[in-house]
Amino acid sequence: MLWERFQHLLSEMLINFRRGGWGVVASIGAFTVAFLVTGIFLLLTLNLSIAVAQWAEDFQVVVFLHDGNTPDKLTLLRKRLDKELAVREVTYVSKSQALADFRKQLRDQESLLEGLKDNPLPASFQLRIHKKYQTADALRQLAASLKRVEGVEDVLYGQEWIERLTGIIQVMKILGIVIGGVLGVTSLFIVANTIRLAVYARAEEIEIMRLVGATRAYIQLPLILEGTLQGGAGAALALGILYALYRATLWQLGTSAPTIFSEPEMGQFLEAGYQMIMVGVGALLGGVGSLVAVRRFLRI
Amino acid sequence: MIQMFQVSKVYPKHVEALLDITLHVQKGEFVFLCGPSGAGKTTLLRLMLRDDIPTSGQILVNGRNVIRLRENKLPPFRRTLGVIFQDFKLLMDRTVYDNLHLVARVLGIPDTISRRKIGRLLTEVGLLQKAHQIPYMLSGGEQQRVAIARALLSDPTILLADEPTGNLDPDLALDIMRLLADVNVRGTTVVVATHNPRLVSEMGRRALILKHGRLVEEIP
Repeated sequence: MLWERFQHLLSEMLINFRRGGWGVVASIGAFTVAFLVTGIFLLLTLNLSIAVAQWAEDFQVVVFLHDGNTPDKLTLLRKRLDKELAVREVTYVSKSQALADFRKQLRDQESLLEGLKDNPLPASFQLRIHKKYQTADALRQLAASLKRVEGVEDVLYGQEWIERLTGIIQVMKILGIVIGGVLGVTSLFIVANTIRLAVYARAEEIEIMRLVGATRAYIQLPLILEGTLQGGAGAALALGILYALYRATLWQLGTSAPTIFSEPEMGQFLEAGYQMIMVGVGALLGGVGSLVAVRRFLRI
Repeated sequence: MIQMFQVSKVYPKHVEALLDITLHVQKGEFVFLCGPSGAGKTTLLRLMLRDDIPTSGQILVNGRNVIRLRENKLPPFRRTLGVIFQDFKLLMDRTVYDNLHLVARVLGIPDTISRRKIGRLLTEVGLLQKAHQIPYMLSGGEQQRVAIARALLSDPTILLADEPTGNLDPDLALDIMRLLADVNVRGTTVVVATHNPRLVSEMGRRALILKHGRLVEEIP
Protein backbone atom coordinates (compact mmCIF):
# COMPACT_ATOMS: atom_id res chain seq x y z
CA MET A 1 0.00 0.00 0.00
CA LEU A 2 2.84 2.36 0.86
CA TRP A 3 4.50 1.57 -2.44
CA GLU A 4 1.24 2.24 -4.24
CA ARG A 5 0.94 5.58 -2.44
CA PHE A 6 4.42 6.42 -3.59
CA GLN A 7 3.65 5.39 -7.16
CA HIS A 8 0.52 7.49 -7.01
CA LEU A 9 2.50 10.52 -5.84
CA LEU A 10 5.09 10.06 -8.54
CA SER A 11 2.64 9.57 -11.37
CA GLU A 12 0.50 12.51 -10.24
CA MET A 13 3.56 14.71 -10.17
CA LEU A 14 4.67 13.62 -13.63
CA ILE A 15 1.18 14.30 -14.97
CA ASN A 16 1.23 17.78 -13.45
CA PHE A 17 4.65 18.45 -14.88
CA ARG A 18 3.57 17.42 -18.35
CA ARG A 19 0.35 19.39 -18.24
CA GLY A 20 1.98 22.39 -16.63
CA GLY A 21 4.11 22.93 -19.75
CA TRP A 22 5.38 26.48 -19.93
CA GLY A 23 4.11 27.24 -16.45
CA VAL A 24 6.51 24.67 -15.04
CA VAL A 25 9.32 25.99 -17.23
CA ALA A 26 8.54 29.52 -16.05
CA SER A 27 8.58 28.69 -12.37
CA ILE A 28 11.75 26.61 -12.59
CA GLY A 29 13.25 29.43 -14.65
CA ALA A 30 12.27 32.03 -12.06
CA PHE A 31 13.98 30.04 -9.33
CA THR A 32 17.01 29.56 -11.55
CA VAL A 33 17.35 33.31 -12.13
CA ALA A 34 16.82 34.12 -8.44
CA PHE A 35 19.42 31.63 -7.29
CA LEU A 36 21.82 32.47 -10.09
CA VAL A 37 21.86 36.13 -9.07
CA THR A 38 22.19 35.25 -5.40
CA GLY A 39 24.87 32.73 -6.26
CA ILE A 40 26.90 35.20 -8.31
CA PHE A 41 26.91 37.65 -5.40
CA LEU A 42 27.80 34.88 -2.97
CA LEU A 43 30.61 33.62 -5.15
CA LEU A 44 32.01 37.10 -5.75
CA THR A 45 31.95 38.07 -2.09
CA LEU A 46 33.40 34.72 -1.10
CA ASN A 47 36.31 35.00 -3.49
CA LEU A 48 36.90 38.65 -2.77
CA SER A 49 36.94 37.93 0.95
CA ILE A 50 39.47 35.19 0.41
CA ALA A 51 41.59 37.40 -1.81
CA VAL A 52 41.47 40.30 0.62
CA ALA A 53 42.34 38.04 3.54
CA GLN A 54 45.26 36.76 1.49
CA TRP A 55 46.47 40.26 0.66
CA ALA A 56 46.07 41.34 4.21
CA GLU A 57 48.23 38.42 5.21
CA ASP A 58 50.87 38.87 2.49
CA PHE A 59 51.28 42.60 2.06
CA GLN A 60 50.64 44.14 5.35
CA VAL A 61 53.49 46.60 5.33
CA VAL A 62 56.29 46.80 2.79
CA VAL A 63 59.38 48.87 3.56
CA PHE A 64 61.18 49.78 0.34
CA LEU A 65 64.90 50.49 0.67
CA HIS A 66 67.30 52.82 -1.08
CA ASP A 67 69.70 51.14 -3.43
CA GLY A 68 73.17 50.70 -2.08
CA ASN A 69 72.57 49.81 1.53
CA THR A 70 75.55 47.90 2.90
CA PRO A 71 75.00 44.48 4.52
CA ASP A 72 75.82 46.01 7.90
CA LYS A 73 73.22 48.65 7.39
CA LEU A 74 70.71 46.01 6.41
CA THR A 75 71.39 44.09 9.62
CA LEU A 76 70.86 47.27 11.59
CA LEU A 77 67.66 48.03 9.78
CA ARG A 78 66.42 44.55 10.45
CA LYS A 79 67.13 44.90 14.16
CA ARG A 80 65.30 48.19 14.17
CA LEU A 81 62.26 46.54 12.57
CA ASP A 82 62.38 43.53 14.90
CA LYS A 83 62.14 45.89 17.85
CA GLU A 84 58.80 47.27 16.70
CA LEU A 85 56.04 45.84 18.89
CA ALA A 86 53.59 45.65 16.01
CA VAL A 87 55.87 43.55 13.82
CA ARG A 88 55.41 39.82 13.99
CA GLU A 89 57.72 38.71 11.18
CA VAL A 90 60.23 40.32 8.87
CA THR A 91 61.15 38.97 5.46
CA TYR A 92 63.92 40.46 3.30
CA VAL A 93 63.38 40.59 -0.45
CA SER A 94 66.51 41.51 -2.39
CA LYS A 95 66.49 43.40 -5.68
CA SER A 96 67.14 40.26 -7.71
CA GLN A 97 64.52 38.35 -5.75
CA ALA A 98 62.00 41.10 -6.47
CA LEU A 99 62.77 40.94 -10.18
CA ALA A 100 62.48 37.15 -10.22
CA ASP A 101 59.08 37.38 -8.48
CA PHE A 102 57.92 39.95 -10.97
CA ARG A 103 59.10 37.80 -13.85
CA LYS A 104 57.13 34.89 -12.43
CA GLN A 105 53.98 36.97 -12.24
CA LEU A 106 54.35 38.11 -15.82
CA ARG A 107 54.72 34.54 -17.00
CA ASP A 108 54.46 34.45 -20.79
CA GLN A 109 54.99 38.16 -21.17
CA GLU A 110 58.54 38.20 -19.87
CA SER A 111 59.60 39.84 -23.11
CA LEU A 112 58.31 43.08 -21.61
CA LEU A 113 61.34 43.05 -19.34
CA GLU A 114 63.88 42.50 -22.09
CA GLY A 115 64.60 46.16 -22.70
CA LEU A 116 65.70 46.71 -19.12
CA LYS A 117 69.37 47.34 -18.52
CA ASP A 118 69.33 47.78 -14.76
CA ASN A 119 67.05 46.19 -12.29
CA PRO A 120 64.56 48.97 -11.45
CA LEU A 121 63.00 47.21 -8.52
CA PRO A 122 64.06 48.16 -5.00
CA ALA A 123 64.96 45.74 -2.26
CA SER A 124 62.42 45.61 0.55
CA PHE A 125 61.46 44.27 3.93
CA GLN A 126 58.03 42.73 4.09
CA LEU A 127 56.47 42.95 7.51
CA ARG A 128 53.74 40.88 9.03
CA ILE A 129 51.79 42.63 11.69
CA HIS A 130 50.28 41.31 14.91
CA LYS A 131 46.53 41.06 14.80
CA LYS A 132 45.88 43.75 17.36
CA TYR A 133 47.93 46.33 15.41
CA GLN A 134 46.09 45.72 12.19
CA THR A 135 44.10 48.93 12.23
CA ALA A 136 44.42 51.85 9.86
CA ASP A 137 45.56 54.19 12.65
CA ALA A 138 48.21 51.94 14.09
CA LEU A 139 49.61 51.17 10.66
CA ARG A 140 49.67 54.83 9.67
CA GLN A 141 51.76 55.63 12.74
CA LEU A 142 54.06 52.72 12.13
CA ALA A 143 54.56 53.72 8.50
CA ALA A 144 55.26 57.34 9.44
CA SER A 145 57.88 56.37 11.98
CA LEU A 146 59.54 53.86 9.67
CA LYS A 147 59.66 56.37 6.84
CA ARG A 148 62.02 58.53 8.91
CA VAL A 149 64.55 55.75 9.34
CA GLU A 150 67.70 56.16 7.31
CA GLY A 151 67.98 53.93 4.25
CA VAL A 152 64.24 53.64 3.85
CA GLU A 153 62.84 55.00 0.65
CA ASP A 154 59.14 54.48 1.17
CA VAL A 155 56.65 52.52 3.26
CA LEU A 156 53.53 51.04 1.76
CA TYR A 157 50.67 49.57 3.63
CA GLY A 158 47.42 48.34 2.23
CA GLN A 159 45.30 48.64 5.33
CA GLU A 160 43.11 51.48 4.19
CA TRP A 161 42.63 49.73 0.92
CA ILE A 162 41.78 46.49 2.63
CA GLU A 163 39.28 48.21 4.87
CA ARG A 164 37.64 49.84 1.89
CA LEU A 165 37.45 46.51 0.09
CA THR A 166 36.00 44.87 3.18
CA GLY A 167 33.36 47.61 3.18
CA ILE A 168 32.57 46.94 -0.45
CA ILE A 169 32.29 43.25 0.26
CA GLN A 170 29.81 43.97 3.06
CA VAL A 171 27.71 46.11 0.74
CA MET A 172 27.81 43.41 -1.93
CA LYS A 173 26.74 40.79 0.58
CA ILE A 174 23.75 42.84 1.66
CA LEU A 175 22.92 43.70 -1.93
CA GLY A 176 23.08 40.03 -2.86
CA ILE A 177 20.80 39.05 -0.02
CA VAL A 178 18.28 41.80 -0.81
CA ILE A 179 18.19 41.18 -4.56
CA GLY A 180 18.17 37.42 -4.05
CA GLY A 181 15.40 37.78 -1.48
CA VAL A 182 13.24 39.89 -3.78
CA LEU A 183 13.75 37.47 -6.65
CA GLY A 184 13.12 34.54 -4.32
CA VAL A 185 9.78 35.96 -3.23
CA THR A 186 8.91 36.63 -6.87
CA SER A 187 9.67 33.00 -7.67
CA LEU A 188 7.44 31.98 -4.81
CA PHE A 189 4.53 33.81 -6.44
CA ILE A 190 5.32 32.35 -9.84
CA VAL A 191 5.36 28.82 -8.48
CA ALA A 192 2.14 29.55 -6.57
CA ASN A 193 0.58 30.61 -9.85
CA THR A 194 1.81 27.50 -11.65
CA ILE A 195 0.33 25.32 -8.96
CA ARG A 196 -2.90 27.31 -9.08
CA LEU A 197 -3.08 26.59 -12.80
CA ALA A 198 -2.39 22.93 -12.08
CA VAL A 199 -5.28 22.97 -9.61
CA TYR A 200 -7.55 24.56 -12.22
CA ALA A 201 -6.45 22.17 -14.94
CA ARG A 202 -7.35 19.25 -12.71
CA ALA A 203 -10.40 20.82 -11.13
CA GLU A 204 -12.73 18.05 -12.23
CA GLU A 205 -10.43 15.27 -11.11
CA ILE A 206 -9.90 16.95 -7.76
CA GLU A 207 -13.67 17.43 -7.41
CA ILE A 208 -14.25 13.74 -8.01
CA MET A 209 -11.55 12.71 -5.56
CA ARG A 210 -12.92 15.07 -2.96
CA LEU A 211 -16.48 13.78 -3.24
CA VAL A 212 -15.55 10.11 -3.13
CA GLY A 213 -13.65 10.66 0.09
CA ALA A 214 -10.05 11.65 -0.64
CA THR A 215 -8.30 13.25 2.31
CA ARG A 216 -6.85 16.72 2.09
CA ALA A 217 -3.33 15.34 2.16
CA TYR A 218 -4.08 12.85 -0.60
CA ILE A 219 -5.07 15.66 -2.95
CA GLN A 220 -2.58 18.28 -1.79
CA LEU A 221 0.60 16.32 -1.30
CA PRO A 222 1.39 15.73 -4.99
CA LEU A 223 0.84 19.42 -5.73
CA ILE A 224 2.99 20.59 -2.83
CA LEU A 225 5.73 18.11 -3.69
CA GLU A 226 5.62 19.36 -7.24
CA GLY A 227 6.26 22.92 -6.11
CA THR A 228 9.06 21.69 -3.86
CA LEU A 229 10.60 19.87 -6.78
CA GLN A 230 10.32 22.90 -9.04
CA GLY A 231 12.05 25.11 -6.47
CA GLY A 232 14.79 22.58 -5.82
CA ALA A 233 15.31 21.97 -9.53
CA GLY A 234 15.54 25.72 -10.18
CA ALA A 235 18.17 26.13 -7.48
CA ALA A 236 20.13 23.10 -8.69
CA LEU A 237 20.03 24.37 -12.26
CA ALA A 238 21.29 27.75 -11.04
CA LEU A 239 24.20 26.02 -9.30
CA GLY A 240 25.05 24.18 -12.51
CA ILE A 241 25.06 27.40 -14.55
CA LEU A 242 26.99 29.17 -11.80
CA TYR A 243 29.66 26.48 -11.84
CA ALA A 244 29.97 26.71 -15.63
CA LEU A 245 30.28 30.50 -15.38
CA TYR A 246 32.85 30.11 -12.66
CA ARG A 247 35.00 27.70 -14.67
CA ALA A 248 34.72 29.91 -17.74
CA THR A 249 35.77 32.98 -15.75
CA LEU A 250 38.77 31.20 -14.25
CA TRP A 251 39.77 30.02 -17.68
CA GLN A 252 39.45 33.52 -19.12
CA LEU A 253 41.52 35.05 -16.34
CA GLY A 254 44.04 32.25 -16.57
CA THR A 255 44.72 32.77 -20.25
CA SER A 256 44.49 36.52 -20.61
CA ALA A 257 45.55 38.18 -17.41
CA PRO A 258 48.84 37.51 -15.67
CA THR A 259 47.42 38.28 -12.25
CA ILE A 260 47.20 36.53 -8.98
CA PHE A 261 43.79 35.23 -10.11
CA SER A 262 45.57 32.90 -12.48
CA GLU A 263 46.87 30.90 -9.58
CA PRO A 264 44.62 27.86 -9.63
CA GLU A 265 44.21 27.81 -5.87
CA MET A 266 42.94 31.38 -5.85
CA GLY A 267 39.43 30.66 -7.12
CA GLN A 268 36.99 28.84 -4.92
CA PHE A 269 33.50 27.61 -5.66
CA LEU A 270 30.69 27.53 -3.10
CA GLU A 271 31.18 24.83 -0.51
CA ALA A 272 29.01 21.73 -0.60
CA GLY A 273 27.19 23.01 2.48
CA TYR A 274 26.25 26.26 0.74
CA GLN A 275 25.11 24.33 -2.31
CA MET A 276 22.88 22.11 -0.24
CA ILE A 277 21.45 25.11 1.58
CA MET A 278 20.64 26.78 -1.74
CA VAL A 279 18.84 23.74 -3.10
CA GLY A 280 17.10 23.34 0.25
CA VAL A 281 15.95 26.96 0.32
CA GLY A 282 14.74 26.60 -3.28
CA ALA A 283 12.75 23.52 -2.37
CA LEU A 284 11.35 25.24 0.71
CA LEU A 285 10.25 28.33 -1.24
CA GLY A 286 8.67 26.13 -3.91
CA GLY A 287 6.84 24.12 -1.26
CA VAL A 288 5.59 27.23 0.53
CA GLY A 289 4.43 28.72 -2.79
CA SER A 290 2.39 25.67 -3.70
CA LEU A 291 1.05 25.34 -0.17
CA VAL A 292 -0.28 28.90 -0.46
CA ALA A 293 -1.87 28.11 -3.82
CA VAL A 294 -3.35 24.83 -2.64
CA ARG A 295 -4.74 26.35 0.55
CA ARG A 296 -6.42 29.13 -1.36
CA PHE A 297 -7.83 27.14 -4.24
CA LEU A 298 -8.75 23.80 -2.75
CA ARG A 299 -11.60 23.10 -0.45
CA ILE A 300 -12.53 19.82 1.07
CA MET B 1 -30.63 5.64 7.15
CA ILE B 2 -31.14 9.24 5.99
CA GLN B 3 -33.09 11.60 8.20
CA MET B 4 -33.62 15.31 7.71
CA PHE B 5 -35.37 17.54 10.23
CA GLN B 6 -36.62 20.95 9.20
CA VAL B 7 -33.69 21.50 6.90
CA SER B 8 -33.37 24.83 5.12
CA LYS B 9 -30.66 26.10 2.86
CA VAL B 10 -30.51 29.78 2.05
CA TYR B 11 -27.79 31.07 -0.22
CA PRO B 12 -26.54 34.66 -0.01
CA LYS B 13 -28.96 37.35 -1.23
CA HIS B 14 -31.85 35.37 0.22
CA VAL B 15 -31.92 32.70 -2.46
CA GLU B 16 -33.93 30.00 -0.74
CA ALA B 17 -32.83 26.66 -2.16
CA LEU B 18 -34.55 24.46 0.44
CA LEU B 19 -37.22 25.30 2.99
CA ASP B 20 -38.19 23.27 6.02
CA ILE B 21 -37.51 19.82 4.59
CA THR B 22 -38.25 16.86 6.83
CA LEU B 23 -37.81 13.43 5.34
CA HIS B 24 -36.83 9.91 6.19
CA VAL B 25 -35.29 7.34 3.88
CA GLN B 26 -35.35 3.79 5.21
CA LYS B 27 -32.48 1.37 5.01
CA GLY B 28 -32.63 -0.58 1.74
CA GLU B 29 -35.19 1.77 0.23
CA PHE B 30 -35.29 3.08 -3.36
CA VAL B 31 -36.53 6.68 -3.35
CA PHE B 32 -37.00 9.30 -6.03
CA LEU B 33 -36.48 13.01 -5.46
CA CYS B 34 -38.68 14.45 -8.13
CA GLY B 35 -39.29 17.99 -9.31
CA PRO B 36 -38.53 20.51 -12.01
CA SER B 37 -35.10 22.03 -12.51
CA GLY B 38 -34.25 24.43 -9.72
CA ALA B 39 -36.56 22.71 -7.22
CA GLY B 40 -33.61 21.95 -4.92
CA LYS B 41 -32.88 18.30 -5.75
CA THR B 42 -29.17 18.74 -6.26
CA THR B 43 -28.87 20.88 -3.13
CA LEU B 44 -30.58 18.14 -1.14
CA LEU B 45 -28.15 15.50 -2.42
CA ARG B 46 -25.19 17.76 -1.71
CA LEU B 47 -26.36 18.15 1.87
CA MET B 48 -26.60 14.36 2.23
CA LEU B 49 -23.03 14.03 0.95
CA ARG B 50 -22.00 16.85 3.29
CA ASP B 51 -20.65 18.74 0.29
CA ASP B 52 -22.50 21.67 1.80
CA ILE B 53 -24.15 22.37 5.15
CA PRO B 54 -27.71 23.59 5.71
CA THR B 55 -28.55 27.01 7.06
CA SER B 56 -30.74 25.37 9.68
CA GLY B 57 -32.06 21.93 10.60
CA GLN B 58 -30.42 18.58 11.30
CA ILE B 59 -29.25 15.79 9.02
CA LEU B 60 -28.45 12.23 10.02
CA VAL B 61 -26.84 9.89 7.52
CA ASN B 62 -26.05 6.33 8.61
CA GLY B 63 -26.79 7.51 12.14
CA ARG B 64 -24.24 10.29 11.99
CA ASN B 65 -24.90 13.96 12.40
CA VAL B 66 -23.22 15.09 9.21
CA ILE B 67 -23.30 18.77 10.08
CA ARG B 68 -21.12 18.20 13.12
CA LEU B 69 -18.70 15.95 11.22
CA ARG B 70 -15.18 17.18 11.70
CA GLU B 71 -12.95 17.68 8.69
CA ASN B 72 -10.84 14.60 9.34
CA LYS B 73 -13.97 12.43 9.63
CA LEU B 74 -15.33 13.71 6.35
CA PRO B 75 -13.32 11.56 3.91
CA PRO B 76 -14.10 8.27 5.71
CA PHE B 77 -17.78 9.27 5.83
CA ARG B 78 -17.90 9.95 2.10
CA ARG B 79 -16.21 6.64 1.36
CA THR B 80 -19.27 4.85 2.74
CA LEU B 81 -21.41 6.53 0.07
CA GLY B 82 -21.59 6.20 -3.69
CA VAL B 83 -22.25 9.19 -5.93
CA ILE B 84 -23.42 9.44 -9.52
CA PHE B 85 -23.03 12.97 -10.78
CA GLN B 86 -25.43 14.89 -12.96
CA ASP B 87 -22.92 15.28 -15.77
CA PHE B 88 -21.23 11.87 -15.27
CA LYS B 89 -17.95 13.54 -14.34
CA LEU B 90 -15.84 11.08 -16.29
CA LEU B 91 -12.31 12.20 -17.08
CA MET B 92 -11.75 12.28 -20.82
CA ASP B 93 -7.98 12.11 -20.64
CA ARG B 94 -7.88 8.50 -19.54
CA THR B 95 -9.51 5.15 -20.16
CA VAL B 96 -12.67 3.81 -18.54
CA TYR B 97 -10.49 1.52 -16.45
CA ASP B 98 -8.31 4.40 -15.26
CA ASN B 99 -11.39 6.45 -14.36
CA LEU B 100 -12.38 3.68 -11.98
CA HIS B 101 -8.83 3.12 -10.83
CA LEU B 102 -8.53 6.74 -9.71
CA VAL B 103 -11.42 6.26 -7.31
CA ALA B 104 -10.20 2.83 -6.20
CA ARG B 105 -6.94 4.47 -5.15
CA VAL B 106 -8.74 7.19 -3.23
CA LEU B 107 -10.68 4.45 -1.45
CA GLY B 108 -7.40 2.78 -0.56
CA ILE B 109 -8.13 -0.46 -2.39
CA PRO B 110 -4.83 -2.23 -3.18
CA ASP B 111 -4.14 -2.57 -6.91
CA THR B 112 -4.30 -6.36 -6.92
CA ILE B 113 -7.81 -6.28 -5.47
CA SER B 114 -9.04 -3.26 -7.39
CA ARG B 115 -8.10 -4.89 -10.70
CA ARG B 116 -10.50 -7.75 -10.04
CA LYS B 117 -13.15 -5.50 -8.59
CA ILE B 118 -13.11 -3.08 -11.52
CA GLY B 119 -13.36 -6.06 -13.89
CA ARG B 120 -16.34 -7.42 -12.00
CA LEU B 121 -18.18 -4.08 -11.87
CA LEU B 122 -17.59 -3.37 -15.56
CA THR B 123 -18.96 -6.85 -16.31
CA GLU B 124 -22.05 -6.07 -14.25
CA VAL B 125 -22.77 -2.92 -16.23
CA GLY B 126 -21.91 -4.74 -19.46
CA LEU B 127 -18.88 -2.71 -20.41
CA LEU B 128 -15.90 -4.96 -19.77
CA GLN B 129 -14.96 -5.01 -23.45
CA LYS B 130 -14.76 -1.18 -23.42
CA ALA B 131 -12.51 -0.93 -20.38
CA HIS B 132 -9.61 0.45 -22.37
CA GLN B 133 -11.53 3.01 -24.36
CA ILE B 134 -11.64 6.71 -23.60
CA PRO B 135 -15.11 7.69 -22.28
CA TYR B 136 -15.89 10.10 -25.11
CA MET B 137 -15.89 7.17 -27.52
CA LEU B 138 -18.80 5.74 -25.53
CA SER B 139 -22.47 6.58 -25.93
CA GLY B 140 -24.30 8.57 -23.27
CA GLY B 141 -25.89 5.46 -21.80
CA GLU B 142 -22.55 3.68 -21.67
CA GLN B 143 -20.91 6.65 -19.99
CA GLN B 144 -23.61 6.67 -17.37
CA ARG B 145 -23.05 2.98 -16.71
CA VAL B 146 -19.35 3.66 -16.23
CA ALA B 147 -20.31 6.30 -13.68
CA ILE B 148 -22.52 3.77 -11.90
CA ALA B 149 -19.75 1.16 -11.83
CA ARG B 150 -17.45 3.81 -10.37
CA ALA B 151 -19.97 4.73 -7.69
CA LEU B 152 -20.21 1.09 -6.65
CA LEU B 153 -16.47 0.70 -6.06
CA SER B 154 -16.86 1.64 -2.41
CA ASP B 155 -19.59 -0.98 -1.79
CA PRO B 156 -21.71 1.96 -0.69
CA THR B 157 -24.44 1.68 1.92
CA ILE B 158 -26.17 4.58 0.19
CA LEU B 159 -26.06 5.43 -3.51
CA LEU B 160 -26.88 9.04 -4.39
CA ALA B 161 -27.69 9.63 -8.07
CA ASP B 162 -28.25 13.12 -9.47
CA GLU B 163 -30.26 13.02 -12.73
CA PRO B 164 -28.62 9.77 -13.83
CA THR B 165 -30.81 9.69 -16.93
CA GLY B 166 -30.90 13.40 -17.60
CA ASN B 167 -29.76 13.30 -21.18
CA LEU B 168 -30.63 9.76 -22.19
CA ASP B 169 -33.52 8.66 -24.38
CA PRO B 170 -36.46 7.01 -22.53
CA ASP B 171 -35.51 3.37 -23.30
CA LEU B 172 -31.94 3.87 -22.10
CA ALA B 173 -33.22 5.75 -19.07
CA LEU B 174 -35.30 2.77 -18.06
CA ASP B 175 -32.27 0.48 -18.55
CA ILE B 176 -30.25 2.61 -16.19
CA MET B 177 -33.08 2.59 -13.65
CA ARG B 178 -33.23 -1.20 -13.78
CA LEU B 179 -29.52 -1.31 -13.15
CA LEU B 180 -29.98 0.91 -10.10
CA ALA B 181 -32.88 -1.28 -8.97
CA ASP B 182 -30.52 -4.29 -9.17
CA VAL B 183 -28.07 -2.48 -6.96
CA ASN B 184 -30.92 -1.73 -4.57
CA VAL B 185 -31.99 -5.38 -4.44
CA ARG B 186 -28.56 -6.28 -3.11
CA GLY B 187 -29.12 -4.02 -0.11
CA THR B 188 -27.88 -0.59 -1.06
CA THR B 189 -30.16 2.33 -0.25
CA VAL B 190 -30.71 4.30 -3.46
CA VAL B 191 -31.73 7.95 -3.76
CA VAL B 192 -32.35 9.16 -7.31
CA ALA B 193 -32.98 12.78 -8.23
CA THR B 194 -34.93 13.23 -11.47
CA HIS B 195 -37.12 15.79 -13.20
CA ASN B 196 -38.91 13.06 -15.15
CA PRO B 197 -42.26 12.07 -13.56
CA ARG B 198 -42.79 9.30 -16.17
CA LEU B 199 -39.75 7.51 -14.92
CA VAL B 200 -41.14 7.63 -11.41
CA SER B 201 -44.50 6.19 -12.40
CA GLU B 202 -42.89 3.46 -14.51
CA MET B 203 -40.62 2.39 -11.67
CA GLY B 204 -43.43 2.49 -9.13
CA ARG B 205 -41.27 3.53 -6.16
CA ARG B 206 -41.75 6.05 -3.43
CA ALA B 207 -41.18 9.58 -4.64
CA LEU B 208 -40.71 12.86 -2.80
CA ILE B 209 -41.86 15.78 -4.90
CA LEU B 210 -39.98 19.05 -4.52
CA LYS B 211 -41.14 22.44 -5.75
CA HIS B 212 -39.42 25.77 -5.10
CA GLY B 213 -37.37 24.20 -2.34
CA ARG B 214 -40.35 22.72 -0.49
CA LEU B 215 -41.46 19.15 -0.12
CA VAL B 216 -44.96 19.35 -1.58
CA GLU B 217 -46.07 15.79 -2.08
CA GLU B 218 -45.18 12.21 -1.45
CA ILE B 219 -46.04 9.28 -3.73
CA PRO B 220 -47.48 6.92 -2.78
